[in-house]
Amino acid sequence: MLKRFDPAEITMTPFMFFTGKGGVGKTSTASALAITLADQGKKVLIVSTDPASNLQDVFKTELTNNISAIPDVNGLFACNLDPEEAARAYRERTIGPYRGKLPESVVQTMEEQLSGACTVEIAAFDEFTNLLANPEIHEEYDHIIFDTAPTGHTLRLLQLPAAWTDFLNESTHGASCLGPLSGLSAKKDLYANSLGALSDREKTTLILVSRPEASALAEADRASNELCDTGIKRQLVLINGVLKNELKGDSISEAFYRKQQKALCAIPAKLAELPLYAVPLIAGSLTGPQSLRKLFTKNQSESGIAQEKDRIEIPSLQAVLDDLHESNKNVIFTMGKGGVGKTTAASAIAVGLAEKGKRVHLTTTDPASHLTHIFGNEHSFGNLTISSIDPKYEVEKYRKEVLSRVSAELDEEAIAYIKEDLESPCTEEIAVFRAFAEVVARAKEEVVVIDTAPTGHTLLLLDAAHSYHKELERSTGEVPESVKELLPKLRNNKETEVVIVTLPEATPVFEAVRLQEDLKRADISPKWWVINQSFYALDTEDPILRGKAAYEKEWILKVKNELAKDLAVIPWLEDEQIGYSELLKIYEKKG
Amino acid sequence: MAKLEIFDPALCCATGVCGPSVDPELARVASALFFLEGKGFSIKRYNLGNEPDVYVNNPTVSKLLNEKGPDVLPLILLNGKAIKEGIYPTNEELASWFGVNAAILEAKKSSSSLL
Repeated sequence: MLKRFDPAEITMTPFMFFTGKGGVGKTSTASALAITLADQGKKVLIVSTDPASNLQDVFKTELTNNISAIPDVNGLFACNLDPEEAARAYRERTIGPYRGKLPESVVQTMEEQLSGACTVEIAAFDEFTNLLANPEIHEEYDHIIFDTAPTGHTLRLLQLPAAWTDFLNESTHGASCLGPLSGLSAKKDLYANSLGALSDREKTTLILVSRPEASALAEADRASNELCDTGIKRQLVLINGVLKNELKGDSISEAFYRKQQKALCAIPAKLAELPLYAVPLIAGSLTGPQSLRKLFTKNQSESGIAQEKDRIEIPSLQAVLDDLHESNKNVIFTMGKGGVGKTTAASAIAVGLAEKGKRVHLTTTDPASHLTHIFGNEHSFGNLTISSIDPKYEVEKYRKEVLSRVSAELDEEAIAYIKEDLESPCTEEIAVFRAFAEVVARAKEEVVVIDTAPTGHTLLLLDAAHSYHKELERSTGEVPESVKELLPKLRNNKETEVVIVTLPEATPVFEAVRLQEDLKRADISPKWWVINQSFYALDTEDPILRGKAAYEKEWILKVKNELAKDLAVIPWLEDEQIGYSELLKIYEKKG
Repeated sequence: MAKLEIFDPALCCATGVCGPSVDPELARVASALFFLEGKGFSIKRYNLGNEPDVYVNNPTVSKLLNEKGPDVLPLILLNGKAIKEGIYPTNEELASWFGVNAAILEAKKSSSSLL
């Protein structure tokens, strides 16, 4: 049995970073902790760096990048630093002066270079720096709480001496991830101070927020190891959304409870060594200081919410399947952040199309073990064939290819630098995309279903490089033929469909919005959105799960009315869909 | 003494490391230039992403960019004159401009036998 999180038992450091993937409840837990500390008479600053931050909703207060007092909580202050806005501002500072001076086509190539995930990450760190290393700010507050943390990649980049030496400017061995930094070398000392504060146990605690779900716990384990390696040693884990008791006799409630307990028993060993705490599942959304105060206190009222009588009818995955079948799409991507159920959706679509008589090839980026987990060791089921792409393997192959070319020519510092650049999210995406392109090129007569989609940024980079290399008419460093063929195919909505997968909660929906906008930059408009793991359509008497369902409605309606051309919902299911016939059951359940 | 200026396009990164493809051509050029710089030759290299000023303020570069767009990059200026457009110089060209033996450049990098 997990111990319930009680802030009184924890030593509070001046800086506290919350980390965890979208939708685990970082903002709620960070806000609740901030209020708890402020109620104790501390002066607390809470900082959000999420561009789609719901900190404003949580406190019902308009927040800007200027620090402002939270009306209902004495001693609590907040600000919202938007790294995408910071990245935009940086881009505009860099590029703005050249609009009109350089042709538009040239300006566009500059913009795309500064549009990657790394630029946003570095911009976010730059925002952190002012708070971490500026004595005027951190001496004024007893605690500064961040509702997100820098990634390991960012921290390692900044730790490299190569990031700050002249070789970046003097040679072209520079790298995209440091693009935004190249103009910021004046801040070197400030960054060093920030990194120092992060690795000081007396100053900084990393709070890993997770859920009682296998994939969320695995992700927390990964983040814990990565950030520990970069020096953030003081860590604790909050497992959010734990259902304390099942409602006996309610099959949904019992199944939900069972599934959580199973995940908690199988918690990764290294994560289990950290201090672990449970935060109970709360019915509905947490907004306003009053409801947030309850999160960490013992006595929660569990006001039940009545099952809605006139539920809105939302199509099930069957509708997606029928549409994909009738419109004869032959390249289908499912896209979404980790843990939303992309692989399950892709597998179910593949199996469904195969049952309708199509020849289907399913490929996934899940490590082989997980695919084996779903389909066993079989790679062929009637009309369906399966392959898998291991991102680690693809990136490793790519890394070796690059390093073998440069290692004879560069000094150690430069090589370390390039190695770190090869750890960037863009590198992985490109390496994996190339592998996809090969699969798609091989499978000409089949429908290809792929469990992840490239981002718009990757597509635009590939496109830029394509036209660039076409000019060169050279074979060196050329974009592979398969990739060239895939690009126009992706843009052709008669052939290709991108299905966005998300969860019926604030952060996953906002993340999906960003994915969709990014794809639109590259002229790809997703049609279907699939909301996974929904309680809305389930019949349960459990008051907490009912509350969850009521909260979901808001997001389902938002997606339906504002975001998606077409929407389907997959209800929460107890069992993982293992195996061909199990996957088909997704279509049987009433959605 | 010859003065060489190279105006790169705004690629994801100059090595192509985290770009869409590994470009050994860029690695070759970079190391050849490293070597020549080490010998004290006057070589300047600019990246459109980081130093757009130089592109605007150099009348030759600015004019070509406005006329032909980004495809003119990489643009090579030798003693202020555009000598190559849209392509990097070969080791032989570099050697002849600076009056060195091309073999020196080749020997430095066994891994890029691309030209």
